[in-house]
Amino acid sequence: MSVKKITKSDFANFVSALIQTDNVIGVQAKGDRFDFAPLESAKDLRLDYDVTLQPPKKYFLPPMEVLLTFDVGGGYNSQMDAQKFILLGVHPYDMIAINQMDELFRQDNYDAHYMTRRDNATIVACDVARSSDHVFASSMNTAVVRDGFDVLLTDIGDGYVLEAATPKGRDLVARAKGAVDADPQALRRREEVWAHNRKSLNKHELKCDPAYLPRLLAKAYKHPIWEERAKTCFACGSCNQVCPTCYCFNVQDDVNWDLKTGQRSRAWDGCLLDGFTKCAPNHEFRKARADRFRHRLYRKAAYVPQKIRGQIACVGCGRCVAACLPDIANPVSVYNRLIDDLGIG
Amino acid sequence: MAKPKIAIFDFACCEGCQLQIVNLEEEILSLLGGADVVEWREAMSEKSDEYDIAIIEGSITRLEDEERLKLIRSRAKVLIALGACATIGGVNKLKNNFDDLDEVKKCVYGKAAHKPHLHTGLTKAVDEVVQVDYYVHGCPIDRKEFTYIVRSLLMGKKPEIPDYPVCVECKAKGNPCLWQYDQVCLGPIIRAGCGARCPSNGFRCFGCRGYTSNPNVDAAKDVINRYGLNIDDLKTKMVLFGSKQEPTIYE
Repeated sequence: MSVKKITKSDFANFVSALIQTDNVIGVQAKGDRFDFAPLESAKDLRLDYDVTLQPPKKYFLPPMEVLLTFDVGGGYNSQMDAQKFILLGVHPYDMIAINQMDELFRQDNYDAHYMTRRDNATIVACDVARSSDHVFASSMNTAVVRDGFDVLLTDIGDGYVLEAATPKGRDLVARAKGAVDADPQALRRREEVWAHNRKSLNKHELKCDPAYLPRLLAKAYKHPIWEERAKTCFACGSCNQVCPTCYCFNVQDDVNWDLKTGQRSRAWDGCLLDGFTKCAPNHEFRKARADRFRHRLYRKAAYVPQKIRGQIACVGCGRCVAACLPDIANPVSVYNRLIDDLGIG
Repeated sequence: MAKPKIAIFDFACCEGCQLQIVNLEEEILSLLGGADVVEWREAMSEKSDEYDIAIIEGSITRLEDEERLKLIRSRAKVLIALGACATIGGVNKLKNNFDDLDEVKKCVYGKAAHKPHLHTGLTKAVDEVVQVDYYVHGCPIDRKEFTYIVRSLLMGKKPEIPDYPVCVECKAKGNPCLWQYDQVCLGPIIRAGCGARCPSNGFRCFGCRGYTSNPNVDAAKDVINRYGLNIDDLKTKMVLFGSKQEPTIYE
């Protein structure tokens, strides 16, 4: 059976052993917040975290990466990140975001840079033990995840339940000394954690089933809320930068001093930023802040869902809510206002 | 193709931005490989009246400096403003907040205030006197950005300089927002490109790269209210680099 149970001290020893042999990235404290970072000691791992400052996206789509090096007139060499790593402590909503990104980067032009990193990763997801100030995963049906991870970890009080879901995951769990088959009681406690999280990760409550959002937005394009909210939008792109499903990027070339060789890089971009839609004849087709503000919300619940079998591309992590200084980014408050004004159905 | 000739000139400033170029160390040899530097007071004794690219450091505070700058502009094909003093007037613009410039002069120079070479007027950024083709922002400039801009020009390519706020780079670095730690950070209205260097080290953004071309003043007012601050809390933070170039904020 692939579901195991392990005591917390055995788990700590397991993580210590992994650190000796593998490149382990885990959730750690960063001041009074949390973030993913290379793990140097098992005692730094904080699986009781509420939310990380950045989503784990950066390990697959780094803020800046060199795609290729070139030699003008002499061809180019693609640059791939070949290092294997273990990503420890991914919350279900972030796992679902990664699943969506996997679909997006696989389709159309297969993105070898993203997919190589993805293939090199072993992901240990972890059920939420403490809710953050702005999480609304319960509203988005993303409080619990059942696929995409290699291993799923659930804190059941006196230990963890470890579920291996892939060959990579089974290999990993096989290295956990002291892990035994999970008994029915442990599995029951895991069900309780799931049931609790399905309800409680809901600091902002969406007034409809998320599946309804594309139909809601179909009639909201000219609603005054876009203009109202955008009045106090800095266009700082913070909502984009902290989002686990924002994946837009910009590509730029830089040459070396020989003016012959150089590198092509890509860096995160953001649809809220001035100039995001600037194109060749200096034309900018979403110049108004309100248009850009609207675009992000449409992207999450109307456009991207069309590319990924109807899944809503907002996973309810609440990071944009926390990151937005003028407090206008909260998707739930926008969608709820539209429901109030336009009704359901 | 002949190497382009570059000349570097300084006006009212601390010369720290030129120092950043000197601090390129080995890379400076690469720069010299791609271009002929024909005048650069801080680093060499030669002078020249012939150059393709003029790099201007410092702000403009005297009539004779305006004339000298205009002459440089007439000789150069491309003119680059280097550093905050040149791009936005920088710290030197603090004095433009005062009505009595003679008092300012006495306060700064004391007994020497009457000397003719100190006969200065209001501070101007370089583009208040002549047309500027490219801006290297910051106090001091970022060396990597400077070399990127020079290489782009040598390639005949327009360099891409960010026109979005510092928050973009700050969030990409995974920093927590300093507003949540009681700092009045100017990041949301200041041009990025520095890699959010100050916030990444725990200091609020001081605004040395100048405002983005379209900063949202309404948003700034909303946020200071939200945080229980008043307009002056924000204005006092903007005065260091933002004097007399700030977006209009009504009380």
